[in-house]
Amino acid sequence: MTTRGKPRGSTGAPRALTLSVPKAAISRASAFIVVIAVAAGLHAQASKTRAHVETLASARLEGRLAGSNGERLAGDYIVAELEKIGAKPLPGQQDFRLPFEFTAGTKDSGSTISLRFDPKNGVEGGVVFGRNQARALSFSDNGDVEAPVVFAGYGIVVPESQGFGYDSYATLDVKDKIVVVLRYFPEDAEQKTRGILARYADLRYKAMAARQHGAKAMIVVTGPRSPNAGELAPMTFDTAIAGSGIVAISVTGEVAVKLFEAVPDKPLPASQKSLDDANPHATGFALPGVTVRVHAEVEREKRTGHNVVAYLPATMPVPGLAKPWVAVGAHYDHLGHGEAGNTLASKDEAGRVHFGADDNASGSAAVLAIAATLAKQPRRRDVLVALWSGEELGLIGSAAFVTAPPVPLDLIAAYLNFDMVGRMQDNKLVVQAAGTSPMWAKILEQANIAAGFDLAVQEDPYQPTDVATFNLASIPGLTFFTGTHADYHKPSDTADKIDYEDLDRVVDFAAAIVRKLEDATEAPSFTKVQQQMQGGGGRAGVRIFTGTIPDYSSEVKGLLLGGVVGGGPAEEAGLQKGDVIVEIAGQTITNIYDYTYALDILKIGQPSKVVYMRGGKRMETTLTPAARK
Amino acid sequence: MTVFRIALVAVLLVAPVFSSVGHGLQEGPSYQERDFLTRVRRLTIEGKRAGEGYWSPDGKRIVFQSEREPGNPFYQIYVLDLTSGDTRRISTGLGKTTCAFFRPGSDEIEFASTHADPKSKQLQDEELAIRASGKERRYSWDYDPEMDIYAYSEKSGALKRLTNARGYDAEGSYSPDGQWIVFSSMRSAYDHTLTGKEKKALDENPSNFAEIYVMRADGSQQTRLTNVFGYDGGPFFTADGKKIVWRRFDEQGLIADVWTMNPDGSDQRQITTFGSMSWAPYIHPSGAYFIFASNKLGFENFELFMVDAQGTKEPVRVTYSDGFDGLPVPSPDGKMLAWTSSRAGGSAGQLFLAQWNHEKALEALKNAPPRKPAKKS
Repeated sequence: MTTRGKPRGSTGAPRALTLSVPKAAISRASAFIVVIAVAAGLHAQASKTRAHVETLASARLEGRLAGSNGERLAGDYIVAELEKIGAKPLPGQQDFRLPFEFTAGTKDSGSTISLRFDPKNGVEGGVVFGRNQARALSFSDNGDVEAPVVFAGYGIVVPESQGFGYDSYATLDVKDKIVVVLRYFPEDAEQKTRGILARYADLRYKAMAARQHGAKAMIVVTGPRSPNAGELAPMTFDTAIAGSGIVAISVTGEVAVKLFEAVPDKPLPASQKSLDDANPHATGFALPGVTVRVHAEVEREKRTGHNVVAYLPATMPVPGLAKPWVAVGAHYDHLGHGEAGNTLASKDEAGRVHFGADDNASGSAAVLAIAATLAKQPRRRDVLVALWSGEELGLIGSAAFVTAPPVPLDLIAAYLNFDMVGRMQDNKLVVQAAGTSPMWAKILEQANIAAGFDLAVQEDPYQPTDVATFNLASIPGLTFFTGTHADYHKPSDTADKIDYEDLDRVVDFAAAIVRKLEDATEAPSFTKVQQQMQGGGGRAGVRIFTGTIPDYSSEVKGLLLGGVVGGGPAEEAGLQKGDVIVEIAGQTITNIYDYTYALDILKIGQPSKVVYMRGGKRMETTLTPAARK
Repeated sequence: MTVFRIALVAVLLVAPVFSSVGHGLQEGPSYQERDFLTRVRRLTIEGKRAGEGYWSPDGKRIVFQSEREPGNPFYQIYVLDLTSGDTRRISTGLGKTTCAFFRPGSDEIEFASTHADPKSKQLQDEELAIRASGKERRYSWDYDPEMDIYAYSEKSGALKRLTNARGYDAEGSYSPDGQWIVFSSMRSAYDHTLTGKEKKALDENPSNFAEIYVMRADGSQQTRLTNVFGYDGGPFFTADGKKIVWRRFDEQGLIADVWTMNPDGSDQRQITTFGSMSWAPYIHPSGAYFIFASNKLGFENFELFMVDAQGTKEPVRVTYSDGFDGLPVPSPDGKMLAWTSSRAGGSAGQLFLAQWNHEKALEALKNAPPRKPAKKS
């Protein structure tokens, strides 16, 4: 049941108590109506989750950005609710709040590059470029490096394990040198090659390769034959606390041209062209007669986020029981006003509060309600109740917890995660990460007989939510999800759109699963699931912008669109929510991974044929990808 | 009951002929899945595949087959308690099994099994080795001649063997009074010296020898009811016990239709002329209509359909989801439907359950166009 009334504050009087009907007025018919009204009122009051969602997704909490005042207020509410059910701070902790430090943003605070030419080369003296001509990469170390320079082509190293020979450093000695590398990957390579190279073209990955070859600094140039030619690389959002162990900056085309004056027979455009067919034998070269000094200065804005973690001590502890903890968790942070850059708000919604009712007040409410249910029952295991912050910035709250765990991780039998569980449609509930233990199928099957969901069970634990953190820590986990929607990461994700009745059913289902885990003598064994997409670049290497919003909950053959970005290439191509992309640029798409690979081989500005299914009909359109800035 | 397997075998044998979705199937008002099926829920998750779920007479349990045990790659039989969620294996764990059914008014459950075959363990290990090598065979049903029908007593745990004949005996189900079992058998391929033509047929498509038989619930009085070359299988009694409904294949094994007959084999009538593989018919407890599966919309695209019990109208489509939908079984009160579907993804089926809208079904059947005469070929 989707309730479309105005959100009520959690402090409002329950409807059932405000009903006052004069007794004399009750005829048989109206009595019937009153009974229904009271029942409906009681029903609303009885929701285990509504008040939590309405409070956490209220305007006062301003979208609960990690480290913000809104996060603090949300934490206050959660702590109060945990205290109400008798949960305790973790053993050895005084407080429910476990702070962690993170980088909320980076800016360049004065990086420069100076070129000093050897006079005998015919070019006199040195040139210094500052602001607007040089900019640190967001993960750069701070510092000064002065050294000779080597052009290392695209700076790409494909790991030998991939069985594809491509190593920009194969013939170069860059030890204690500064390397100059081109951004992106060879422009004219055939599709398959592009697909492979693109995965190792992320700047972070290139910096790692440079560092591993002994380079002291990396200079990135956006080549004249590439999109965004000659432009500085933007400082991407990066939450790492410290730099990546190497000084790394990008420079403009003007600086690059100047630098290449050191090799008059190999100007930059021609040098790039010689590499663009991805011939593995085309190599870089030293730039003789020039010494470069790089000064990198990144200012990292440090903030403190807070996980809120409590536990319900076992009431009937069993001495010697294997792994005597079970954990449930959800992230309670969201996007604030969208300032962290991961908003999908349209232009006219930009800067507004992102309420995050489904993402993830719904999961937080589920965890609070599960804890409230479990608090009233006998327990053989301790139940850890975690509300994470920093999830939206890259799972950093749960990662901080696992890095310095207040409870030894090998004592935790299993972790259940809840992220976006408030928008159930057609009784469908997605349960992901089921591949982490052979026990999950049995447990889910039995619990679902009573719960009665149309369960979609997915094995993959490498999900964009905190269950991934626990998977990496070798703890069996599940994450629950009711699917994405048009309001995802937009200010329109509001509490009135939550389906509380079905959210409460998720709570009952999950509480039953936790009960089984608490009661079982054996803890579920952990199975490592192979990650389907390998490579250093990952999504960060994608430079193509298509404006599609994949529906990750779906298991249809192809890529089901949960939506399209307003004004993006997909929308312009006439694609819409519900379409299933089955082919793009001649590549068959059967799943999200195929799609990600296909993105690597598309060319910016080049129209590509897209075949998609709409209402059972096979249709075609042309999509022209844009550049991701 | 087991034609699911046959259908997929047939896919291997012939070049698939795809017909386009929804081509001129229905004139009259259009319906969608949620008109008939609501609150769809998935019943089985564990194991590679599960299917053929049949209700206990009180509607509180379901008996089904599933591949879910590490040492055995074949189906075993399980009883699922819909109140507690507990599942329990009732077959021996050894060999292949299929097609279970609760005996009304009794603690017995019948199913077919090959566990008496001394080669059972060896066959399991061979199949596991093939799977481990990554060369998994396409799903198929082999009509194991060692398959015989047994009755399991829930009270004593004893297994009573009901058939002994050489040849596949399976696909059994009880009459509503619990006194009879109707089943399918290929014994006619082994009970006499085969002619050359028959030998060839047995090699190429043994299911052509399958005929419908009936016997007492104790295995006595085994009597043959059909005598037409082509796979006769998947028989069930109607809710009032007055008819047997089954599906009959043509000799090529590509076209099947729903048929009914009296329990003594008389009055054999064709209920559908749907020009496709229509199978697994089961009566709704109201007696008004059969629900069955057909690939009318594409060779590999099985959907559920329903047809009035007399076959006066064209069938009405019930499911509209991706993947396989088949083996429909309404609950004893007629308010729910259990069926086997691959709608959750992958090629293997699992058991699903949904609320069944009987009134809407009656309305849709009423609005269905009259049955078209069979095309002459």
